[in-house]
Amino acid sequence: MPDSSRLSLIARRLAISAVLVVALAPVVWLFSIAYKPVSDIFASPPTFLFSPTSDNFQSVFRYFNLGALIESSLIIAIGSTALSLLIGAPAGYALARAESPRAIWLAYFFLVIRTVPAIATLIPFYLLMRDIGLLGTWWAVIILNTALNSAFVVWMMFSFFRASPVSIEEAALIDGCSDFGAFIRVALPSVVPGLIASAIFCVMFSWNDFLYAMFLTKADTKTISVALLSAYGTKDISWGTLGALAHFSTLPIVAMMILLNRYFVQGLTQGVH
Amino acid sequence: MSVVSREGGASADDSAARSTGWSYDRKRQLFLAAMATPALLYVLAIAVGPMVQGFLYSFDSYNLIRPGSRHFVGLDNYIALWRDPTARQALINTFVFTFGAVTLEFVLGLGIALLLWRDDWFNRVALGLLLIPATVTPLVVGLVFKALLNPEYGLLGYPLAELGLSGPRGLLAEPQRALATLIAIDAWEWTPLMALILLAGLKSLRTDILEAASVDGATGPQRLQHIILPLLLPAAFLALILRMMDAFRVFDIIFVTTSGGPADATNTLMIYGVKQGLEFFNIGAASAVSTVIVVCILVMAAAFIGVLKPAKNRNA
Amino acid sequence: MKPFIGRGTALALGVLVSLGVAGAEAADKPYQGMTLNLASQNDQFAAVLAAVAPEFEAQTGAKVNVDILSYPELLTKITADYVGHTKGYDLATVDIVWSGQFAEAGYTVDLADWIKRDAAEIKVDDIYPSLMASLGGYHGKQVAFPFAGYANVLAYRKDLYEAAGLKPPTTMEEFVADAVKLTDKSKKIYGFVANGQKGPAVAQDWMQYNRQFGGSILDKDGKPALNSPANIASVTAYKKLFDEAAPPGAADYDWGGREESFRQGLVANMQTWSIGAADYDNPKVSKIAGKAGIMLTPSAKGQPQEYGIGGWALGINKDIDPKKQEAAWAFIKWVTSPAVHKELNMRGAGSYLRKSEMTDPELLAKYPFLPVIATSFEHGDGDFRPRIPQYPELQDLIGGAINAVLVGQADPKTAMDGIQAKAEALFK
Repeated sequence: MPDSSRLSLIARRLAISAVLVVALAPVVWLFSIAYKPVSDIFASPPTFLFSPTSDNFQSVFRYFNLGALIESSLIIAIGSTALSLLIGAPAGYALARAESPRAIWLAYFFLVIRTVPAIATLIPFYLLMRDIGLLGTWWAVIILNTALNSAFVVWMMFSFFRASPVSIEEAALIDGCSDFGAFIRVALPSVVPGLIASAIFCVMFSWNDFLYAMFLTKADTKTISVALLSAYGTKDISWGTLGALAHFSTLPIVAMMILLNRYFVQGLTQGVH
Repeated sequence: MSVVSREGGASADDSAARSTGWSYDRKRQLFLAAMATPALLYVLAIAVGPMVQGFLYSFDSYNLIRPGSRHFVGLDNYIALWRDPTARQALINTFVFTFGAVTLEFVLGLGIALLLWRDDWFNRVALGLLLIPATVTPLVVGLVFKALLNPEYGLLGYPLAELGLSGPRGLLAEPQRALATLIAIDAWEWTPLMALILLAGLKSLRTDILEAASVDGATGPQRLQHIILPLLLPAAFLALILRMMDAFRVFDIIFVTTSGGPADATNTLMIYGVKQGLEFFNIGAASAVSTVIVVCILVMAAAFIGVLKPAKNRNA
Repeated sequence: MKPFIGRGTALALGVLVSLGVAGAEAADKPYQGMTLNLASQNDQFAAVLAAVAPEFEAQTGAKVNVDILSYPELLTKITADYVGHTKGYDLATVDIVWSGQFAEAGYTVDLADWIKRDAAEIKVDDIYPSLMASLGGYHGKQVAFPFAGYANVLAYRKDLYEAAGLKPPTTMEEFVADAVKLTDKSKKIYGFVANGQKGPAVAQDWMQYNRQFGGSILDKDGKPALNSPANIASVTAYKKLFDEAAPPGAADYDWGGREESFRQGLVANMQTWSIGAADYDNPKVSKIAGKAGIMLTPSAKGQPQEYGIGGWALGINKDIDPKKQEAAWAFIKWVTSPAVHKELNMRGAGSYLRKSEMTDPELLAKYPFLPVIATSFEHGDGDFRPRIPQYPELQDLIGGAINAVLVGQADPKTAMDGIQAKAEALFK
């Protein structure tokens, strides 16, 4: 265990605080510009003082249908996460329990699938969605996100299930429990932190994705991350609007992270034994 | 049926279960296969299918804007990529970025994980806060740093330029240092995640081994090198491979900060490919680029797994 | 072929069909229940368009959804929409330089006949010919209708010129000389700023600069002549100007960065699109309120007095059905009509189109620099960026090369020679 003398504790906490400042300062700045009048954001030389304004937030509400954007982001994130867990967890379980080298290779296959670059799948997928009539709907994005997210879930759950002891399951099986029952009643509960950790990854991936969402959605189904790019624009960056909009795109994820970080850590601890 | 030893350790029950009969095995095998099939089929259809189709496109000269002129050209797209100095530079930049970012993130992440190892309220809060950079949309991260690093009005860029630490045009406009700056930005965003995974690995280490080592007189650094690091391999493996795959496909932060500039210094394969595919709608070329990306990642991952896995198993 | 339209649109169309079957309904709500999707560039006019759209609905019953997109997003999405025949957007703002590409590919409805038919209603003669020709016009077709005209004007700091005892430039030679004289790096005042960022940003600004010296990207046969001695000299001069008189960060500026540097008071001269002009006197966004002047851009000695123009037009998606096309055309006519268009500009759209607007007393009171823009339109040159189908790739090549020169990565001759070969390949 790390040694616990007083001096080293203070030194350690100072170091951590320094790291935190580096980590959080840009985020604080991002949020602060939402309250600054545009002329002050880019004062040269830069200043810290300003008189707060709500103009930027008003711009956001006026130019963007914020409710619809958040709705789209939520539906896509939750939809693809739910689907990914639904098909990914059982697959991870199966690969973990199968005990064959083939299973391990399959697990790696799933891990690597996530690396498929967007440009490879985007155009063929776009054309496919057009042909079956789903282009512009949330489903198109959910379907594509799920493919990548579920592959990741399979890999994650594969690791977690491998770490979870078989003995209780096997006992249940001997006692007459069905295979599926053992999965639901014994195996799953033992990896709940892992499920949560996987879910968090999926939500983050879908929520922050903009390339797929931009391409596959229409005006009324687009997500907040796509809108962020519009807020940025090219001929006239409205940074204030960007900062205001960033509140809505970042805070939900931050909140989720803060609330669930305990499970996240716990989950990862279990999975990387 | 061959048995691969599991880290969880085999128990007597395992063999008892397995010896209950052939039919049980087969039934269980079918069950497991059924559990895995939906995911496998889904991924093959949605992710692999279009990718294979895209791969086939890479052998055509195919531009969506002029669909009538589509025709087979064999390896021409790949040859053109190889001949194009912009594409070659993009390939180099992508590798440099990947290795630079992953290494930096690993070293910093390990340091932070070691600092946060002890479980107390301060560290728990710190960890929660530390994860915040990872939650900000990469696009926004890029924009934030682009503004902060601006030499005329950025809170970071202005002092840097004044002190002569950056050229007068700012770090992002210097061909020699733009890529390094982007690596630093990427590190800002993803080191916390790296630290988290490594911390999880640290926390799962068996304390008895470590205590035994200190009792034996091993110093801090010695403990680190000979005991902690090797035992940390599984966590490190996961963290490194995840980051490596993602860093190779970096797009968002580069797109909004430098768009591949200045002068191709930060052009990566993804930026190049997206420009070909989504700006010029040159599907043939874009598919060739994406095939190259996938092949590179596969090769890197295979090499990685090949090197680290025996080490991981050895240390389990 | 499976229909892909959403339920809402299907419902709207259904209503429309039954209306049509029932016969002509009330004349004042001809498009009741219809929804038009408009993809708009994120320029000043976007917000104003969104604000006035409900008035069109009140008059005609057609709801217009204005979707505000950034430039790369806009081009990618509407091109994908046209190429994939997905009918996601009925209307779109079309950049001046896309005219050739759109014409060749046939993405949008050719409005030439409708314009002739409705000429009186539109008051065609009131629209500047240069705008009609360049914003959407291409070899006799009109693939989009002009809507937001921008003039390249010179924004300058009256106070800095006075303090230095200089008069605003009338020729490009004077412009360059003034820029150098007004630069005082110790005081962080620079005489010049332009886009330097790789890609469309630097390409546009350099092409404008080049044109003012009489240079041209294409030779008289319309083939690329990027490495002509005149062009190479122009790039060399541009670099020199950047080094001597521009803020150091300029090599990475795009339009936003360039405007910001002017508004923050760093720069004495900036050639820019007229659309940003109104902001300089707005204390909320500008630190130089009251100190900026707008004037015509100079040309080199001996060159014809022409002024760069640019801007946006409105295009109708060719894939949508005739009734929707009609509604879209009605919207275009409505939004570019003298009354409505003036209203757009009163609300700050900064997008000019009609001669009547430039002499309107209310607009003049708000934007006293309108005569500058008017003259620019009268002698407007919309082709300093060739509006040919190969333009996007050409722009990309030029943007890469010039930026490389500005950051010292390449010398002008090598850079231009390098892209000449690639450019020629585009024209095969």
